[in-house]
Amino acid sequence: MKQLLSGNEAIALGAYHAGVAVATAYPGTPSTEILQSIARMDGLYAEWAINEKVALEVGMGAAYGGVRTLVSMKHVGLNVAADPFFAVSTTGTIGGLVIVSCDDPGEHSSQGEQDNRHFAKIGKVPMLEPTDSQEAYDLMGWAFDISEEFDTPVLLRSTTRICHCKTVVNVNKERKSDLRQPGFQRSPAKYVMVPSNARVRRHAMEERIVKLRAYVEDFPLNEMVLADRKLGVISNGVAYQYAREVFKDASHLKLTTIYPIPANLIRRFAQEVDRLIVIEELDPFLEEEIRCLGIQVTGKDFIPIIGELNAEIVENAAVEAGILPAPSKPSLRPKSPAPQLPARRPQLCAGCPHVATEYVLRKLGFSGAGSGKELKKGEFIVTSDIGCYTLGVYPPLAALDTCACMGASIGQALGLEKAGVPNKAIAVLGDSTFMHSGITGLINVVYNQGNTTVIILDNGTTAMTGHQGHPGTGISVTGKKTQQVKLETLVEGIGIKDVTVVDAFDLKAIESTIKRCLDNDEPSVIIARGPCSLTVKTRGAPFEVDADECISCYDCLDLGCPAISLSEDKAVIDAGMCLGSACGVCAQVCPQEAISESRK
Amino acid sequence: MTLEKDPLNLIITGVGGQGNVLASHIVASAGIKEELYVTVGETYGASQRGGAVMSHVRFSSQAQCSPLISEGQADIVVGLEPVEALRVMAEFGNPKTRVIVSPRPIYPIWVLSGQAKYPPIEEILGNLEELADRVQVVDVSEDGEALVGTNVLMIGALAASGLLPIPIESFEEAMREILAPKDLEMNFQTFRKGMQAMTGG
Repeated sequence: MKQLLSGNEAIALGAYHAGVAVATAYPGTPSTEILQSIARMDGLYAEWAINEKVALEVGMGAAYGGVRTLVSMKHVGLNVAADPFFAVSTTGTIGGLVIVSCDDPGEHSSQGEQDNRHFAKIGKVPMLEPTDSQEAYDLMGWAFDISEEFDTPVLLRSTTRICHCKTVVNVNKERKSDLRQPGFQRSPAKYVMVPSNARVRRHAMEERIVKLRAYVEDFPLNEMVLADRKLGVISNGVAYQYAREVFKDASHLKLTTIYPIPANLIRRFAQEVDRLIVIEELDPFLEEEIRCLGIQVTGKDFIPIIGELNAEIVENAAVEAGILPAPSKPSLRPKSPAPQLPARRPQLCAGCPHVATEYVLRKLGFSGAGSGKELKKGEFIVTSDIGCYTLGVYPPLAALDTCACMGASIGQALGLEKAGVPNKAIAVLGDSTFMHSGITGLINVVYNQGNTTVIILDNGTTAMTGHQGHPGTGISVTGKKTQQVKLETLVEGIGIKDVTVVDAFDLKAIESTIKRCLDNDEPSVIIARGPCSLTVKTRGAPFEVDADECISCYDCLDLGCPAISLSEDKAVIDAGMCLGSACGVCAQVCPQEAISESRK
Repeated sequence: MTLEKDPLNLIITGVGGQGNVLASHIVASAGIKEELYVTVGETYGASQRGGAVMSHVRFSSQAQCSPLISEGQADIVVGLEPVEALRVMAEFGNPKTRVIVSPRPIYPIWVLSGQAKYPPIEEILGNLEELADRVQVVDVSEDGEALVGTNVLMIGALAASGLLPIPIESFEEAMREILAPKDLEMNFQTFRKGMQAMTGG
């Protein structure tokens, strides 16, 4: 049966047909849809884990229990899961364990652009990578087989373009059923990594890689096509699609086994062609591996190391490097230069519960002095985190000073305090991020007697990645009710005495609470609670501006609400976008009380 | 099936939240029914919060295409929003490109706050005319009508335009497969509205 599937859907279906019994993940673009797809399938257990580290630890346990297990995450998620990743490489597994890492070349929705192929090498774990959705589907079966045959976790790497790109998949398998039943075999020498056991396993890891080197030589999804022998192109992932399109007449070697690489196959290919190049996104990973074989090869001397590739970038680079002739006919170009158009970047939604808090932070803590200026007395630092609210860095809110990695805001705030910085730091993070890795930072604040104020923007969901559940929501990945972990009980439980829950749309309450907490010399937590506007089912009647009362002060525009704009110097509210009394923040900002519920 | 131009490159563009991904999914699924190779290149994530979005849909009768269309190589641009249509045309258009566009603006935040200007709609359409072979404007909205369904409306217009070698029935079949049964009738109505706007009937 033919189906149009994204890479993520294909990974999920491939895992399902390979007989996966347990699937676990923390949401993160571009990986999120893998678990979402698999959670809709019957006959397996799926969960949103609290973070990637825990996801992989659950995955280890499941695989130790003998069943096929899938753990998926975005590239930076593997940083969080690095500890169990190296550990499970050492112990190996019984049931197949496949870890999917979805990298984000071009940083479409990430704080960094790391090439996770390096994880395979330092973790001594085999890695596979598809070039399209069909291979994503097919490789999953191989990945589980390799994991079980070689007693190793397997990394499957994908990238944004493969994850989100849709191509036709020939779905040709039935779900595998002749699989091991769950059961644990006691084996301390394998699972208890005290040094005496770990040293023994260390040898097993090296022996495993030697065997894998031989295995990948005949891997059926690597493909050598010999055509014009003047140029040989080795490529992987989505770069293979660009390479095939740009170097139409050349000989090609497509690699799906990224680590270890098939050395003899590459040697044979190199001998068949006059000149060998590698087309790959990000780091020269394959290029360096191939050079280590003593084969002369080039790649990153003309292909960019930063960002995504596309056919055009590859072609231009090859022309400039003299590998391809300059195109004989001029390429099609727009007739005239681009007109000046207003930029359009992502923004917080109309009725977003984060807006009021960030507006107050701006008002209280930012004097308006620009970047590079020392803070004045009375100003404060806002350490922020990863989520929709990070959009508050842009004007007009412009209320954030840092954003690094999940949960970092709280540790950063404590560090600024302990360094002796005279201005106070307030940490701001979302409910899902707090559960992911904010809680450990907060326990550290309590233990080390910091006086950090932490604001948890609690919109009751993981909004940025598309509304996934987390422990604070009490809703499972399949939409069922589960035990809710209450934020206020949790933070009280670790010893925070000053805990305040405020309505995320109540400007006065937010302002007075922040002021009080700033004066407090003990740690405090403010939970600003209000639902994500995209999940609000009953909105109030839209608000409107009384044009006679409006004095054109534009205070309401400082909220950055997409529903408010200017019409002939007066503010107007888009009735289709406004959530009305479900938000109502603009009415509180207006000094003239010119904004109220529409009476129409 | 053979294509007059192979690969045939379509870009659907708009603003996050308008349903770009659904639109490209319907068109691509309809193409598969004609035994074409179809590749849909999507980018989403942070872009869903009101940012500019774009789907590249590539059809070929010969081989699977790579997911991204190169500069100047779009054959058809479907704009769910006028400024986004122009932005895409300026990068991916060429003098042979055909454009189908909704004239209803969605204002970026800097325009709303008065820091940037949104060009008059006539100017945008004029610019599109200059850049493209032909521009067809699809406007069926009445005053105060909510902006829902622009994606399906524009797909209806595209289906009726004859620019894709895909019969209407294949679009309808694709919609039946993709959409939830309860939303189907409403979407068919919107789809037909788009068709009528294109054929002038």
